[in-house]
Amino acid sequence: MSHSLNQTTESEKIRVRLYRFDPAIDQAPRYDSYEVPRTPRMRIMDALNYIHEDLAVDFGYRWLCSTKKCGTCAVNVNGSPRLACWEEAESDMTIEPLSHMPVVRDLVTSRDSFETALSTLSPLIVRKTEYAGFPEPLTAVDMAPTEHLRDCIQCLACQAACPVLDQADSGFAGPALLVALSELAQDPRDGEDRARLASETAQVFKCVSCYECERVCPAEIPIVREAIEPLKRLARPTGTSPGAKRADAFLAVVEERGYANGALIAMRTKGVTLSAIRLAVRMALRGKIDLVEIFLKRASTKVGALRRTYESSKENK
Amino acid sequence: MIEVIETDVLVIGGGAGGTNAVLKASEQGAKVTMVVKGLIGKSGCSIFASTIPFGTPTPDWLNHDEVSTEERDHYRLEFMVRYYNHYLADQDYCRRLEAYMRSEFFPDLERLGVYWRRDDEGHIQPTASRRTPNLVAHKQGASGPAILDKRRREIFRRDIPVYEECAATSLLIDDGRVVGATILDIRRGKLFAVAAKSTILATGHSDYLATRSTGTREQSADGIAMALRVGAELANLEIQWWHTSDLSQPRSWMRFHLYPNPLLGTKETARLYNSEGEMFFEQKTHSPGVSAPYFEQIRRLCPQVQAGKARWDGGYYSGYDHIPAEITTKHQHQAQVWRKLGLDVGEDRMECGITWHMRQGGINVDTRSMQTSVPGLYLAGGIGCHYLGSIGAVSFDGKVAAEAAAADDERRKPLTEQIVAPEEKRVFGFLRAEPDGPRPMQAKLKIREIMWNLGYIKNAKKLSDALDALLSVREEMLPRLALESTSRTWNTGWMDALDVCSMLDACEATVRSAINRKESRGPFYREDYPYVDNEHWLCRNIIQRVNGEWHTRTEPIPLPYLTPEKSREPFFESDY
Repeated sequence: MSHSLNQTTESEKIRVRLYRFDPAIDQAPRYDSYEVPRTPRMRIMDALNYIHEDLAVDFGYRWLCSTKKCGTCAVNVNGSPRLACWEEAESDMTIEPLSHMPVVRDLVTSRDSFETALSTLSPLIVRKTEYAGFPEPLTAVDMAPTEHLRDCIQCLACQAACPVLDQADSGFAGPALLVALSELAQDPRDGEDRARLASETAQVFKCVSCYECERVCPAEIPIVREAIEPLKRLARPTGTSPGAKRADAFLAVVEERGYANGALIAMRTKGVTLSAIRLAVRMALRGKIDLVEIFLKRASTKVGALRRTYESSKENK
Repeated sequence: MIEVIETDVLVIGGGAGGTNAVLKASEQGAKVTMVVKGLIGKSGCSIFASTIPFGTPTPDWLNHDEVSTEERDHYRLEFMVRYYNHYLADQDYCRRLEAYMRSEFFPDLERLGVYWRRDDEGHIQPTASRRTPNLVAHKQGASGPAILDKRRREIFRRDIPVYEECAATSLLIDDGRVVGATILDIRRGKLFAVAAKSTILATGHSDYLATRSTGTREQSADGIAMALRVGAELANLEIQWWHTSDLSQPRSWMRFHLYPNPLLGTKETARLYNSEGEMFFEQKTHSPGVSAPYFEQIRRLCPQVQAGKARWDGGYYSGYDHIPAEITTKHQHQAQVWRKLGLDVGEDRMECGITWHMRQGGINVDTRSMQTSVPGLYLAGGIGCHYLGSIGAVSFDGKVAAEAAAADDERRKPLTEQIVAPEEKRVFGFLRAEPDGPRPMQAKLKIREIMWNLGYIKNAKKLSDALDALLSVREEMLPRLALESTSRTWNTGWMDALDVCSMLDACEATVRSAINRKESRGPFYREDYPYVDNEHWLCRNIIQRVNGEWHTRTEPIPLPYLTPEKSREPFFESDY
């Protein structure tokens, strides 16, 4: 089935509101509006190129391959991160730079913080044994867990979408860095201490599993299931960060009680300190927590079934 | 005077040639500085690498067809020399390249962690062409990013000084020797100089010099232009490859290439159909021995266009609808294109158009050292005239250039104001905003249109018209270029203005070179000379500009291993 696209008679105009900001000159960002004629199968990139080429507007935007390989053209379109070369142009677009990154000019953001963070994660495999020469012993089965992670082009759309990164000092590395780390952690050749890097350096337990990263990923990587969860499983037993301790405590409390008990999880994560006791007493006096329930309530009657599930999940691992 | 950074080896370019040059020069103990117009491993054309030839002799574990070692060696050489470079390659270089591929290219990358696709038992999966096995990292169509990402990380791990998003604007010359380059930091709008004992130019090819091109935004032939301006010899610039099976629409996806060569793990190839649905190209039928039949594809499209059954920019089709969709989807990166457009890869065909692709020619070079005709200037990769290019070949170049450049210990003289000042004046001279001058982008579009209209079918009249048109852009548009603003921060218009200078120089040299070559060969077709002339034109067609004067000469290509059978044959009947 084939039909020519060039004979199109469509006269639809696309409306683009473009974020303009030159930090060297402008006091504040502004938005300029343009009309762009729709062309067949048009991408967001085609609209940007039209504004630059046909309308001769010298705005700043970055693209290097235009075929979903370089990962440098992601922008916010109507509030959501998209890879400009990959996603279809909409009829009404407000195009802005990606969030969580400083603006260099207009749509160009700085990737420096991502590169710096990547360099702290030991971003190449550290071999357990010396390289054996080509081809080294390795199978498709060995590499299957990272098959999809290797599709990552570091476009940083997921970093822009991640709500944890809304808090600038969260300490959380963000999904793109966790994909890179997870690929290394699940590589059978690698002997680096990825658990520590995941737990302490990347602070993987700050991920709230909201799946925003997966929603915007142009490479359709199952980021939470195939990158972040394996890192959490790897890092939890180390107990080397509050996140790992908390995850461990959560599982232990649920195993004992059959339900999550916030106060017990907090106690086991942070320990029983004088300030924690003071806080608990104040909260109990104000009716915020029920000390009797926390300490004396029995385990759920279904806890036996739950523990059997725990056992079988440990065996299957 | 502008800031000067001192180094032993300056590497300009961040693709496979540049990255390997940097790594190898640092292993030689040289102080290396790297300058990249885009981002290492993300800009340039190396990222498009699809399948990578293994090299010879092929080991038994890759030799599924049990062809003898001699046959395989011969076939590989024939592929490189005859089909890939139309006898214009350096044959001795090809032999050395093959040994490098096997013994260094694959081990170097695997050591860094690159995964070469295997089956469940661990056997490396070659492409279907078993006589010349090609390997892929990750998936067919996605080897480039997998390879370059590892090199990028290794360069950062070694703490090598890297200047990304910094464009080299000119090579600096002192007493006939290249002594470094001036660099414009695109983000900050700051011009600085790098003073180097030796400079390796690795700015790649696949330039965006015609309306439809696989070349990307930053590829404005800066390397060719910079070399031309310091008087370097350029050779065979006119031997320009075209892709025939790139997407027609969307326009920005003209870089998506539908491979005519076999799908990994199958004997299947893509086909081409004209506007009436008649198939006019299938590799198995029309180009059976050739695993990269690009020159043959466009040669078969030519009569279709002349008969009104296709246009150069559309109206003909390609696809994988004769192949079970599961195979295409499993093995090829390109299947995602159909999915993204809501089409069925097992049923629907894509409208295609031609694109200006790689260039066989480039800067004249001695492949033993990768030295150019100008002392202090080396090269690596597609910018050279010795080989068409592939991610493996350009990596080899990077290694050879790095070793020679690191050993070139000519004493470095301090850069003087006199050497740098003219370039400072030129670069900042473009930073002007006039209300009625043409925008640099308009000049770029005009140049691309001139080269596009010159097109595949050339003759003396069209070439001379193209040259006149380029000269008129140089005379009438260039002096009047005006920007939207004079900001120094990521000023796209400013970058475009510098691109215009490079494009004009490179295109003028290309057209002059094409005027000189009075024959047709490979992807180069002149209807006024419609025959391959091995007697007179099996040579490097060299062009040089010295003090504003153009000089030409030819240099025969040594033929130690392979020689074409006929001294002259009709272009459309030759098979290379």
